[in-house]
Amino acid sequence: MVMLAYGAVSQEVLSLQAPSPGLLTVSSAWPAAAFLVPFVAGAVVLLAWRGPRWFWQATSVLASAFTFVAGAWLTAVTVGGAVVTGWGNELRVDTLSALLVVVIGGVGFLACLYSLRYLQRAELLARVGIEVVQRRLRVFYSLLLWFLATMVWGCVTNNIIMLWVAVEATTLASGLLVAFYWDRRALEAGYKYLMLLTIGITFALFGCVLLYAQAAATGELAGGQALHISDVRQVAHLFPAGTALLTVALLVVGFGTKAGIAPFHPWLPDAHAEAPTPISVLLSGVMIKMAVYALARTASIFFPSWPQLTVFAVALGSFTMVLGIVVALTQDDLKRLLAYSSVSQIGYVVVGVGLGTYLGCYGGLFHLVNHAVAKGLLFMCAGAVVYATGARRMSDLGGLASKMPVTGVCFVVGALTIAGLPPLSGFMSKLTIYLALAQAGLWWAAAIAVLASLLTLAVLVRAASVVFWGAPRAVAATVEVREVPLVMWGPMVILAGVSLLLGLYPQVVFPLVDGAARVLALIGR
Amino acid sequence: MSAPGFNSSLVETLSMLMVITSLGAVEMRRLRMSAIAYLLQALILVALLLSFAALNPALYWWAAVALLTKAILTPWFLFHYMGGRDAREEKPLIGFGPSVVVAAALMIGFYRLTHSQFGLLVPTTALAQQEVLRTNLAVASTVFALGLYCVLTRRDAVKTVIGLCLLENGVHLSLVSLAPELPETALFGVATEVVVTVYLLLYVINGLRQEFGTTDTFKLQELQW
Repeated sequence: MVMLAYGAVSQEVLSLQAPSPGLLTVSSAWPAAAFLVPFVAGAVVLLAWRGPRWFWQATSVLASAFTFVAGAWLTAVTVGGAVVTGWGNELRVDTLSALLVVVIGGVGFLACLYSLRYLQRAELLARVGIEVVQRRLRVFYSLLLWFLATMVWGCVTNNIIMLWVAVEATTLASGLLVAFYWDRRALEAGYKYLMLLTIGITFALFGCVLLYAQAAATGELAGGQALHISDVRQVAHLFPAGTALLTVALLVVGFGTKAGIAPFHPWLPDAHAEAPTPISVLLSGVMIKMAVYALARTASIFFPSWPQLTVFAVALGSFTMVLGIVVALTQDDLKRLLAYSSVSQIGYVVVGVGLGTYLGCYGGLFHLVNHAVAKGLLFMCAGAVVYATGARRMSDLGGLASKMPVTGVCFVVGALTIAGLPPLSGFMSKLTIYLALAQAGLWWAAAIAVLASLLTLAVLVRAASVVFWGAPRAVAATVEVREVPLVMWGPMVILAGVSLLLGLYPQVVFPLVDGAARVLALIGR
Repeated sequence: MSAPGFNSSLVETLSMLMVITSLGAVEMRRLRMSAIAYLLQALILVALLLSFAALNPALYWWAAVALLTKAILTPWFLFHYMGGRDAREEKPLIGFGPSVVVAAALMIGFYRLTHSQFGLLVPTTALAQQEVLRTNLAVASTVFALGLYCVLTRRDAVKTVIGLCLLENGVHLSLVSLAPELPETALFGVATEVVVTVYLLLYVINGLRQEFGTTDTFKLQELQW
């Protein structure tokens, strides 16, 4: 793996080309390395069946850290005004792709660290048996790395069909992780996850194929160019209106299912709640964002020529944000509550990005980052509660703040970020989305977004108060509860710190989100 | 069709057989017979691709991929899962009679759609305008819709996997009309993922059968709301 990383650096081609005025293209091995390193590391872990546990874990931590470093490098280059390509033009990283890679790498690395102790708790693993879990650890880390690799691959590929293949590959890599505990609940969740997502994503394949076929039929693109997303958007205005509408509908159903957009979301609460917590962090924190990325990358091609599509996207996003949070109100299971909250929050991202204006895209993408950080944090806190008490139902929990102060504070930070309260980062991104909706004259959508935020505040503050400050109940009262180990609360504190930092100094992330928003909203126009 | 070696009556016969075997795979109550109907359909799909290869030689490669993934690996996984058991599926929501009506309605509907609204479905390339490719798209859409119908109306988890396979066969066949120049690497990626999906689903369903004692999806009620 280290050799591969070294190779990625040494093979970097320093030649600069300028395919269009004002846009530098840097050819580099980094985009390929960003997903090949975790992929190869996953294969190494899988093959090392006699290897000690620490080897599997160390390999996973190093490979996920490498992905984050690659994301940071790509971010630095793309923010500087360049586009990084690889394998000809098959891989292409602009600021939008770099944003996703750095978020996937960062959250992936922290989830990997968090898992080191989470999967060692014998009491927690009683539902499946500690011996069984120890045997499956190798497969767990191997699949976790492939899961990361496929997500990054989807974000760096410039090939329409390979984008679809990568999105479906994320489902396959994570299917067994969702069913990891292999009991009735986990198996049911795993079956629904694999079945519903595969059916849904098949519609996206039709959408991607139509996109390619239409681009090829324009006669403006030579050979394989019609497969390149960056080239297809240059000829999108030549597509027949009816076909464009059909294509967008197929993409929304397909990638929307994967993103958890209502009404295609029923798989999400089951999978996100039943998976081991490090996987829940990745599913809710980054996987659904990667699906939104795929949708935005493909569907936004049509925004310049068919602006009326944006109202449809805003309506869909508004419906998603309301439905998710209303159902979250009725939940007693802490992880399920957070999963439904994810449905609601993905609605904000869809509203922002779907609006298609620069301000909307900025707000949507900024919220994508904030939600990845805060929901990853909240799932880690929920996992810490499960780790310490063995309970997930709020009716069994209470009074944990004095025994788990770090977890309690982190949960409140995450909850207030998601709810959009100042001075946390969620406030800035949601405010931007409200302003973008108002600017577009969609006051009804702005009102819905504010209302859903108030409901989110109520749901998450209630959960925090019950679990951490409520009267000690059943399980919490009988089990000796202690704060979780450093390797678990460390990632939580880092994510809480990022939430606070981005709230107080949103300009830190401005160049990256600004560039990504320009890719979606302006370049195609 | 003027292309040498292209036999349109053979293609029409094979297309009709595609729909009949789809209906067989959906309606056979014995899971093993249903899997055999699926296997037959996969072989017909390969034959169809070979027939179309007279128009587009790239389809020989597509036929080879379909043979490996759909006619060999997928049926192998299905038969391996069933082992020595000759199980009957759980009673479906909709029986044989209405299914035949649904299949006929789908076929007629898609035939009319692909012949009246072809411009909406695919770009107006010279190849895609050909009559036989319009009919092919109607057949592919019917197989796809029957697969979806199977997933939605069958209670047995194994039957839903067979429905998923039908759905994917419909996709594969539709690409002949929609994107005949799709590179082999992209097609291979798509076909490989279907096989892996089927394997993983059957692996999880085996776990479900051991834990729940049944593969009836209506009895999967651990997770509600």
